[in-house]
Amino acid sequence: MMVTGVKLTLLLLVTTTLISFFVGTVLAVMRVSSVKALRILGTLYVEICRNIPGLFWLLFFYFVFPELLPSEWGKALNTYEHYPVVAGILGLTVDNSSYVSDILRSGKLAIPDSQKEAAITLGLKPVQQWLYVMLPQMYRAVLPPLGTRMIHNFKNTSLCMAITATELTWATQQIESLTFRGIEATTIATVFYIIVSALMVAVVLGLEKYLKIDMTSITKSKA
Amino acid sequence: MIKFINVYKKFKEECIPLNNVDLSIAKGQVVVVCGPSGAGKSTLLRVIPRLEAIDRGEIIIDGLSVTNSRANLAKVRSEIGMVFQQFNLFPHKTAIQNIMLAPMKVRGLTRKQANKKAMALLERVGLVHKAGNYPSQLSGGEQQRIAIARSLAMEPGIMLFDEPTSALDPELIQEVLDVMISLAREGGMTMIVVSHEIGFAKKVADRVLFMDNGVILEDGSPHEVLISPKHQRARDFMSNVLHVRDDLREENATFLN
Ligand SMILES: Nc1ncnc2c1ncn2[C@@H]1O[C@H](COP(=O)(O)OP(=O)(O)O)[C@@H](O)[C@H]1O
Ligand SMILES: [Mg+2]
Repeated sequence: MMVTGVKLTLLLLVTTTLISFFVGTVLAVMRVSSVKALRILGTLYVEICRNIPGLFWLLFFYFVFPELLPSEWGKALNTYEHYPVVAGILGLTVDNSSYVSDILRSGKLAIPDSQKEAAITLGLKPVQQWLYVMLPQMYRAVLPPLGTRMIHNFKNTSLCMAITATELTWATQQIESLTFRGIEATTIATVFYIIVSALMVAVVLGLEKYLKIDMTSITKSKA
Repeated sequence: MIKFINVYKKFKEECIPLNNVDLSIAKGQVVVVCGPSGAGKSTLLRVIPRLEAIDRGEIIIDGLSVTNSRANLAKVRSEIGMVFQQFNLFPHKTAIQNIMLAPMKVRGLTRKQANKKAMALLERVGLVHKAGNYPSQLSGGEQQRIAIARSLAMEPGIMLFDEPTSALDPELIQEVLDVMISLAREGGMTMIVVSHEIGFAKKVADRVLFMDNGVILEDGSPHEVLISPKHQRARDFMSNVLHVRDDLREENATFLN
């Protein structure tokens, strides 16, 4: 049971980190876009998602979302054995991606418009301007808070026990109620959470070092 | 050929950096633009690749209007290089990566071809040994030479320079000017250079413009505009800011140095 829990927790971590990184990036780009409709849509999403507790989103996707769909689809979801995991991924992603987009947006504000102008005059298309000039600098600028956010998201995976996803925290509860060996199980889980968080910190620090650039040259050019 | 037809651009009330500008610059011409701060010199350059949109009038580059056509704009942008006062290198890329980016992504060169081209350009600006440096590891003069090389990598027919040496320490100015002078002497490229470097204007400019308050007040040979401008505003500017000496002007002799 612990092994299944560890596996599922890691699965939730990897999928939600990757998906919310991607979705958060798209949202951030939408929110600073020159197209007004995209800006409004992005801002609306972020403001709604960020101001509602993460646990609510898990419960929403688990209990409410299937009811909103045509009844056959809803039934299919409710009887799908892995639906708790899917609902967990959806709920965590909705919550986390809104934070990610906000962090990235602040990164965009730190980069002078002249970077984009240089990209434009080199003939790069808008998508290329984002991919090769803006986003790489935005990620670098916000790496520390982005890392902290991802660790936060990792800890949030434990909330998925509320929707019966068989992740690690759920497993410790099960072990407690079935065998009364909750203390041992909880200790193991705690150590696991600490180790993974520490590894994530190490990855962020490593990336920081690897991607280290002196941003003074661009902040100066704002003058 | 660059053609401004009655171009009007206004920012806020009372701030009109381009007040019905008519201008035409022939292919291969080297034009130096001078004038007081706030005259509209940067705006004159920035409306060409449409970093700023204009309010009225039309701009035509090599027969294509960039005022209303997105398709023309994209085409024209990749034919124009621009060098900025603050260099604007991409800080997360090394010198050579800065140069290679656009040729690979816009022109479709392979990494190998782009690398070869970048090395040739680094050679030309005398910075082969700095290929792997990040911008933060380069002096201002070196950054600006890399920025010029980066623009040249797209083989533009038109190069715009917006005060390329104004942000540099005095001892670093000449190395950048030398690159620009060799570019101008080589010929074939249309260059518009906003600069107050009289030496540069004297050596290579075909034409000098003096701008004030959104209007091109003087337009002529370096000699005409720098030594014997028609307007009092321009005359004052030449003496007080550019220090073109009055006695030289009066004698109408060869000027400066
Ligand atoms: N983005 C902008 N928004 C508002 N005003 C601007 C902007 N850019 C330039 N200006 C104003 O337009 C005028 C001309 O500016 P500019 O073309 O930069 O002059 P120059 O390069 O000759 O110093 C100045 O008064 C300047 O303050
Ligand atoms: Mg200017």
